[in-house]
Amino acid sequence: MTSRQALWLELMEFYIREAWLLDERRLREWVDLFTEDVLYFMPRRKNVPRREAHREVTPLGDLALLEEDKRYLEMRVARLDSGMAWAEDPPSRTRHLIGNLLVEPHEGGEVLAKTAFIVYRSHHETDQQIFAGSREDLLRRADGGWKIARRTILLDANVLLDKNLSIFL
Amino acid sequence: MSSAPKYSIIDPATGKIDRRIYSEQAVYDEEMEKIFARAWLMIGHESLVPRVDDYFHTYMGEDPVILTRDRQSRLHALLNMCRHRGNRVVRCDDGNAGRFMCTYHGWAYSNDGALVHVPGESAAYYDGLDRSQLGLVEARLDTYAGMVFATWAGDAPSLEAYLGDARWYLDTFFNRRDSGMQALGPMKWMEPVNWKTTVDNCSDNYHVPTTHLSSASVQTRYLGRPRLSHRDQFESSNKHVFVNGHALTFREVSDDTFRYTHGVSTETLKLFQEYHEATLPEVERRLGAFRAHRVQLGNHSIFPNGVLGLRLALPRGPLRTEFWHFVLVERDAPEEIKRVIRIGSQANNGAAGMFEQDDIDNWRQVTSASQSRVGRRTPQDLSMGVGHSGTHPDYPGLVSERYISESNQRRFYLRWQEFMNAGSWADISLDPITAKFEGTATMRA
Repeated sequence: MTSRQALWLELMEFYIREAWLLDERRLREWVDLFTEDVLYFMPRRKNVPRREAHREVTPLGDLALLEEDKRYLEMRVARLDSGMAWAEDPPSRTRHLIGNLLVEPHEGGEVLAKTAFIVYRSHHETDQQIFAGSREDLLRRADGGWKIARRTILLDANVLLDKNLSIFL
Repeated sequence: MSSAPKYSIIDPATGKIDRRIYSEQAVYDEEMEKIFARAWLMIGHESLVPRVDDYFHTYMGEDPVILTRDRQSRLHALLNMCRHRGNRVVRCDDGNAGRFMCTYHGWAYSNDGALVHVPGESAAYYDGLDRSQLGLVEARLDTYAGMVFATWAGDAPSLEAYLGDARWYLDTFFNRRDSGMQALGPMKWMEPVNWKTTVDNCSDNYHVPTTHLSSASVQTRYLGRPRLSHRDQFESSNKHVFVNGHALTFREVSDDTFRYTHGVSTETLKLFQEYHEATLPEVERRLGAFRAHRVQLGNHSIFPNGVLGLRLALPRGPLRTEFWHFVLVERDAPEEIKRVIRIGSQANNGAAGMFEQDDIDNWRQVTSASQSRVGRRTPQDLSMGVGHSGTHPDYPGLVSERYISESNQRRFYLRWQEFMNAGSWADISLDPITAKFEGTATMRA
């Protein structure tokens, strides 16, 4: 096995483990996967002409669906544990399917990893929704494993069809 | 000859409301005509189309509308519907274009709405087509402090009269700076709720310490923001005020504290206070000393579907609302202030907003309670504070005694009923403008 294949396997397992943390609601462990200086970013997707594709994804500095640092992520997780975060109490049942992993070495031993996801959400009695999109992560070695130093989530939706985004994608 | 009005859905003395207004298709269809094809509707902001030929795609109710800035820099609100068969002539969210071409047969319109090209016109129509009668359908448009409003009703009053004394309060948020505001967004998502539930909630401060306690608590812990309690809400000297359908809440400020906006934390408190103090002379010149020092707009709705700032509840059937969330920042504010407000805005409101996500199932179940057979027989109770609002020596409009009150919500449904029963604008009342608008701020600048 080449070192490149070994890295791919290592990261694929990293993402599968992350998916289980989310689906089993082990969110305190999940939030530990992010570095202290993380940017957790979900820009908006716009309808623009094909030849203006550079405008399709809103840049940092425009209004995003999520533009969070570690403190905000921790705050969200603490909120869910409060017993009064009504959007998620009772909680959603989720299933994160992560695939299409591409790994690219980055400077300073960091790695760029791109994945695609399908996330199923079921809530209350009959509410359900499927989210599809991609994640682009900047990964950094830390504590003998990997941590996410930047995550950009691109949703494949213009008008989000769900009632809210109370789960992590 | 007069007959009984069709809609009698609220008893103002008891606050009992007929739930069927949230779910019946026939009521909804009539709303689209009597309210959304008649009222002034907020549709966007001038800063979304800053340059000549910019356009922004928006909605008036369910009607798709293109907000354009033409070659003369004039704004237009044009129905996005080719006059030939009805195809949309714009399919993008925004952009820059002098002309819009229908992708069906190639009819092309200039961005002031004129039909300027019809392929093969002479041969196809035997030189008989009157293009001057086939421009894009245009709505009346006006602006207030950069926010763009439009109406389909030729007999509607001026936007200034429509806003009336509500502007006295709105100015304290939207009209503070000479350089105006800048809109970012929108993010868009679909709420399974009747549009009215999102609007009336703007004056419901009673829900805040229950619905939003988890968000407020973690923000106290992580950001150092003030605690939230029922007691504070009841003891607050803040008030509700109602003018012409617009339901506002405002804070009475005594010590020149800045507006505690979304995102402000212990670390950025000083920056916001300094900005407040640095801009206070300008605000005082624009709004007069009383409003500059004493009055801060709180949560508010602009009739019919403007929700808390420049945010739109777009009806999509009785049981669905497409929600558009923009954030407004003062154009000349320091970048760090804009950043904090932008991040705070998405973290609190919007699809993933910690506060807003907890509202949705509440509104959804208020909506669906009107669908079940026994539920719909049982009226809603909006009786809080009946008899405890009136005129006030310092504040224009109908003012509640307490911050916790359902006065504005009752008034909203009475206004809704007035629109639904009216044959035309002649049957719709407007409160006279009585406020003294001190300072230099106007509708336009």
